[in-house]
Amino acid sequence: MRRALSILASNPLTIAGTLLVALIVLAAALADVIAPFPEHQGAVVDFVNFNKPPDATYIMGTDLVGRDLFTRILYAYRISLILGVAVLAISVPVGVTLGLIAGYLGRRWEYIIMRVTDVFLSIPPLVLALSIMGVLEPTLMNGMLAVTAMWWPWYTRLVYNIARGEKVEGYVLAAEVIGASRAHVMFREILPNCVPAILTKMTLDMGFVILIVSSLSFLGLGVQPPTPDLGSMVAEGADYLPDSWWLSVFPGLAILLAVFGFNLVGDGLRDILGADR
Amino acid sequence: MSVLAIRDLTLSFRLWSGPVEVLHGISLSIARGERVALVGESGSGKSVTARIVLGLLQDQSGARIGGRVEFQGRNLSGMSARERRALRGRDISMIFQDPTSSLNPVFRIGGQFREVLARATPGISDTKARATATGLLEEVAIHDPARVLDSYPFQLSGGMNQRVMIAMALANRPSLLLADEPGTALDVTVQAQTLDLMRTLVDDHGTSVLFISHNLGVVREFADRVYVIYRGRIVEEGPTRAVFEHPGHPYTRALMAAQPNLTGGGLPRIPERDPSFLAPLVVHGDRT
Amino acid sequence: MILVLRSLSKTFETGQHRVQALSDVTLEVAEGECMAIVGESGSGKSTLANVVLGLYPPTSGEITFEGEPLPAQRTLAHRQAIQLVQQNPASALNPRRSVAASLRLALDVHGIGEPRKRRARVEELLGDVGLDPSYATRAPAALSGGQRQRVAIARALACESRLVVLDEPTSALDVLVQAQVLRLLDELRTKRNLTYLFITHDLAVVRNIATRVAVFQKGRMVEIGPTETIFSAPSHSYTRSLISAVPVVTPEEFAMRERLGGRS
Repeated sequence: MRRALSILASNPLTIAGTLLVALIVLAAALADVIAPFPEHQGAVVDFVNFNKPPDATYIMGTDLVGRDLFTRILYAYRISLILGVAVLAISVPVGVTLGLIAGYLGRRWEYIIMRVTDVFLSIPPLVLALSIMGVLEPTLMNGMLAVTAMWWPWYTRLVYNIARGEKVEGYVLAAEVIGASRAHVMFREILPNCVPAILTKMTLDMGFVILIVSSLSFLGLGVQPPTPDLGSMVAEGADYLPDSWWLSVFPGLAILLAVFGFNLVGDGLRDILGADR
Repeated sequence: MSVLAIRDLTLSFRLWSGPVEVLHGISLSIARGERVALVGESGSGKSVTARIVLGLLQDQSGARIGGRVEFQGRNLSGMSARERRALRGRDISMIFQDPTSSLNPVFRIGGQFREVLARATPGISDTKARATATGLLEEVAIHDPARVLDSYPFQLSGGMNQRVMIAMALANRPSLLLADEPGTALDVTVQAQTLDLMRTLVDDHGTSVLFISHNLGVVREFADRVYVIYRGRIVEEGPTRAVFEHPGHPYTRALMAAQPNLTGGGLPRIPERDPSFLAPLVVHGDRT
Repeated sequence: MILVLRSLSKTFETGQHRVQALSDVTLEVAEGECMAIVGESGSGKSTLANVVLGLYPPTSGEITFEGEPLPAQRTLAHRQAIQLVQQNPASALNPRRSVAASLRLALDVHGIGEPRKRRARVEELLGDVGLDPSYATRAPAALSGGQRQRVAIARALACESRLVVLDEPTSALDVLVQAQVLRLLDELRTKRNLTYLFITHDLAVVRNIATRVAVFQKGRMVEIGPTETIFSAPSHSYTRSLISAVPVVTPEEFAMRERLGGRS
């Protein structure tokens, strides 16, 4: 713990990242309280105040139908974070379990799981998600499923590689000789040694999931109006650059800050947890 | 003049938890052609001493080195990193514990040999290098040098690789050879052979040796003089025979007693640590 | 006889390579013995250990334990009866689990003692190997090599096993620590009537802990006998060369080596 704190103290970027992420999470959680116009998260039209540059009332300006951008960014953050957590909540357990099985049991398990993983990993993530979205209806739920489908293989491969290394360690042999079950060896002996790497990757991935969900909605797939989404906000505003710059610049910055923040925290975690010991 | 003279060498590392003192002022010297052993357990500081003599720790951030290390009268800490690098492999060479992993697995022995020779003779021709290498391998009792030169390290046995390492280490006729637990990774019969071989060769060439080991038996058979190191301090020094037959320091005595004997005698009851182990230095006479 | 190996052979095949790791080994180990299996790399001593532990089946031959044949697929009861202490204490304990968790595993898997008394049992086991009960909550990283090896021994004791395979248990340890761990092993054997299969290359250690010695060379057992006899009058030339290769310290040892016709 003292070591962790001293590494943290000597790494101002990690502190900055942690503060940034904390701020984003807090803002998203308290959107109902902070947002100046909570009703603007939905389908609201205000033809008097549409497309206004930032001022004292609308600190980030308003969009083309007069909704407060700041409000919409806060709610978009909330949805992005929920989506990120949901994607990881499914893909991490699935990917980790498959990775443990492939890495520890080996033989045909390894062959089948790793070949399937290779297939998924050989398709560029966005292309895969796009094709899934193309077949299915472009809804929030399907967006999440699409991203999840392309996310688990990364965890499978990560855990597979660690598990293959740990498998030959003496403590695994000791557990086997004692007569521990395969499930015990995988989840109680090997898994704890994968946790630092998994946690680090999850933090980094929060940023990437936000980015990819935004990319999908930027392309018109994914989160649909009137639900606020950073990606679709950037897309809407892109047509009105440079005159109505605030339309895409603020949502764009919001994406950037989130990705950047999670990356800083992830890098810091790697140092503290010694994920690459 | 000594080939190597270490005076009051201190070393500390800056860690997260604060500075850690590893060497508390050790002094040792090696005369020309002398075989000197530094004996100690893991964590005693024997291996870092070797790294300092090789000039490998001087540039590492976080390592603070005090005192003097003189190689043939030249102060190592006064040298540039470049000068120290030039010494390595030419005037000072090293043999490691595990011969197979200290050779590069993806190159043939012949190529690696040429590189070693090129440190002393830059731009040495392939034919010249091969001829020299062949001679050197014959010196370490390798009867088919041509096959060995064309092999990769993994195609040779551990004992064969150890001989190759010895031949390489002595290729440029260094004045000082550092041997860090040589042969520990090998079988006892092979270890015995390589030690005999090494002793003969360094005798022939008049090479000085700093022999780092935890194995009392190996030290007893190989070294002229012994320094016993315990937790960063030299606790006893003297001619090998004197130290082994009349160990004066409580720690040395404990080490000797703990060593299981081939003639039996049972398992002694010896503490792993004892305040008496930190008693002052014992020096045996008739130093050269 | 607690353990009987009859005409045991093991061949490994990888591609075109065939390695005969054990050929036709017959060996009987009595209860309470410390049977040393001595050899250099490639002697088959580790293969023997692994076959006895049931990590892989023999190619041919039979293993009998306490009068019953040992099947290739070991039951929990077999696992409990035959335990292992490995060479490298640094990797033998899971770095991410506490000492107590490592010891409890054995108790939990074999249902030894009532669940709520197992915590106390763990502390008792630590005491048995000379460690303070407070070590239970520590991580292996906070322990020295010798302490970790003591925990590994405690783990074998936790199973209440009768036969312990000691695979070079002290060769990664410093000489002062080695002396203590050897003493502990020796005391535990007498106190609990344990049987040891002591796999090692270190003849000086063997001389002081084994009751009998079996010398292996290239998969074959070339000599077997009581420790005294093996060292005072080795009959096989390989045994003699092994003994004379040991680097020694005392004048008596030098004399002994000379007597065996080895190096002086």
